[in-house]
Amino acid sequence: MAKIELKDVSLTFTLRKAVRLSLKEFLLNGMFMNSRNPLVRVPALVDVDLSVKDGERIGVIGHNGAGKSTLLKMLAGVYPPTHGTRLVEGKICSLFDITLGFEPDATGRENIMYRAYLQGETPRTLRPKQKQIEDFSELGDFLDTPVRYYSAGMAVRLAFSIATAIEPEVLLIDEVLSVGDLSFQNKAGQRMKDMMANASLMVMVSHDLGSIEKLCTKAIWLEHGRVVASGTAKEISAMYKQSVRDEVKQPVAA
Amino acid sequence: MIQHVMATWRCRHFWLSLVHLDLRNRYRRSVLGIGWSLLHPLAMTVVFCIAFGGILGSQDWRSFAPKLLVGLAIWDFMKSSIIFGCDAFIRGEAYIRQCPLPMSIYSLRIVLGTFIHFLIALALVVVALITLTGTPDALYALPTILPTIAMLSVFCWSIATLAAFAHAYFHDTKHLIEVVSQLLFFLTPIMYPPGLLEAKGLGWIVEINPVAHFIVLIGQPLMEGKIPAPEQYLYAGGLTVALFGLACGAMAWLQKRLIFQL
Repeated sequence: MAKIELKDVSLTFTLRKAVRLSLKEFLLNGMFMNSRNPLVRVPALVDVDLSVKDGERIGVIGHNGAGKSTLLKMLAGVYPPTHGTRLVEGKICSLFDITLGFEPDATGRENIMYRAYLQGETPRTLRPKQKQIEDFSELGDFLDTPVRYYSAGMAVRLAFSIATAIEPEVLLIDEVLSVGDLSFQNKAGQRMKDMMANASLMVMVSHDLGSIEKLCTKAIWLEHGRVVASGTAKEISAMYKQSVRDEVKQPVAA
Repeated sequence: MIQHVMATWRCRHFWLSLVHLDLRNRYRRSVLGIGWSLLHPLAMTVVFCIAFGGILGSQDWRSFAPKLLVGLAIWDFMKSSIIFGCDAFIRGEAYIRQCPLPMSIYSLRIVLGTFIHFLIALALVVVALITLTGTPDALYALPTILPTIAMLSVFCWSIATLAAFAHAYFHDTKHLIEVVSQLLFFLTPIMYPPGLLEAKGLGWIVEINPVAHFIVLIGQPLMEGKIPAPEQYLYAGGLTVALFGLACGAMAWLQKRLIFQL
């Protein structure tokens, strides 16, 4: 039984303007001198409550920088919440930046192996799926050349084939559907549908409101880290579209 | 802690495949390939033999070369573990940002790679000893140094993990370590016998230097067929346990926070 429970979750990033803290800065701070690299607190998620049960498919929409990807990463377990409780049960599969984690000097076939192991496969479970992954990517002989020589489209095809070959209980998708050529989009769309039929629950981030309405049962609207509204996919998508139209009509203050 | 170890074991295929990838990448597009792992320690030994065998008086190269090779193998294992260990989390950043895997796999990946190179160099030592002494004593001595090798590996993992966390928080760490290790190399009796430092009243350096201890613990059974004094085992073991404890502590304290630092 897969489920997601977020209660009163907040996630605050503490950044510095210059990312790396040198020893000199550390000592200066200790000496009470004014640092040229002060701490900046960024509230990425604020008081988020989310409850997803078996069989639900949630869409997450919002403006750029609203915290959608951060929410997904937190659900995946990459970021621990700085406040509140997170409970995710079930085998998690995350489709984030899809080419992240490719080893450029290894061949396509080897990368299938590395990515599959990253997702928790073992050599025994991978063997029956290997042929299926290779066929889905349609890369043929190019699977034996290093990934550094692939075009962007080829890399995406490979990444997508690997990522969708597992059977997850909790599926987290971050805007990966909007890539690849038309034939691939159709193929990928069908594969996504099959995957979602197998997955117990899914949380998806997308700017394509059409696919949110088509693929999701419920949706939530994030703005500046807060859940502004939640309801059925059609409702929320209509509300969001309306608010964007209103924003465009009102001229920006000089 | 048990959960962490279990989780590390569960994703073993992933980080073992990364080790495999690292080994292949190291010598990709080179003609000799993994042959360099054999050639490098041999070449360094020859160079040091010629350079220092002559300078430090007429040392018979037959006894000097294996000592040098053992010293260089252990030194290289420790140094590359800590230097490459600094970059462990930075190299694994892509994976850390995607999947919440136990953090120890990144330093494990580094140390397993350096361990394999250490084993190659050690094999060379054994072969050299058998050829030079004409007896297979070195081969019989191998089982006695297996626990020491295990201890050395734990030591190297601990320093690699500590260096990885330190470097993720303070980027100066790697540069500092490079300078300090250069100094330490000259203060370790690899190129010269320990007696040289003791004669100058600097014997205490040899006593606190863990590298020197491991050189004796591994070198002595191989070359002289004698088991070293228990105090040496105690010191090396105690230091290893202390560093292992520190590394585990750092892991428990910082692994959830590391993502915010990358």
